[in-house]
Amino acid sequence: MDDARARAFREHVEPEIEVMLRVALSLTRERADAEDLVQESLIRALRALDSFDGRHPRAWLLTIVRRTHLNMNRRRRPDPVGDWDVLGDQRPAFGAGTAPSAEQAHLDATLSSRLTDALEDLDPKFRSVVVLVDVHDLSYAEAAAVLDVPVGTVMSRLSRARNRLRAALGPEFLTPGRPA
Amino acid sequence: MKQSLRQMITCHWTAKRIQRYLDADPSAPLTAEEVARLEAHLAECERCTRVTEEHRVLHRALSLWPGAAVPDQRSVERVRSFLDELTDGSRS
Repeated sequence: MDDARARAFREHVEPEIEVMLRVALSLTRERADAEDLVQESLIRALRALDSFDGRHPRAWLLTIVRRTHLNMNRRRRPDPVGDWDVLGDQRPAFGAGTAPSAEQAHLDATLSSRLTDALEDLDPKFRSVVVLVDVHDLSYAEAAAVLDVPVGTVMSRLSRARNRLRAALGPEFLTPGRPA
Repeated sequence: MKQSLRQMITCHWTAKRIQRYLDADPSAPLTAEEVARLEAHLAECERCTRVTEEHRVLHRALSLWPGAAVPDQRSVERVRSFLDELTDGSRS
């Protein structure tokens, strides 16, 4: 493999490994499957490197992760599961991640539990966008790439999702002590 | 009356922009004029200030949400090793 090409590929990919795994985990819910998905995506990304313009590598890579996931599902399952149905319909696995940081440990347990309930009550298409942007810290354009929707759709779904979460939690949880 | 109608219009105008203001996303930036108008409104409107604070707290709670699927370091290392194999010999 050409050294310059390989180096360029590494420079695009290395900083994005963790976010690719986060998105892959959201899609597959299984660690081993998420790693397989990311590895398969990297093979496809390398093949497609010549057609990549070098801008927005994260969005480029996440688009490949989404497409690879759809293809792998088609191959493996006679009745394919829609990509964000997986994220949308399953209760998150608490404690499945790494040990919580000190900051996480201090997230109010009641608020956390209420937040999970409120997220579960959201329509999956609203939940997926709020998870990508607020939980995983993707930009609007990156979330749009993962969901295969326009940026404007991400913004409108995000706005509605957050307002529903605010309404569900109420000011007593979000701004305790402040007069309503 | 005139004043409260103007206030209502500005509250509505602010509500439509408050998330873009807080996100500061490169895809949908507010103009400097919009930011100035919004901040001036927040300085005098208790209700919009409360809504802004709720959005901030909600975002922070979501960013700390323990239900998030977070990859462990071993997964990251295995994928990095795979990347090494894929681009074999190209490490500087």
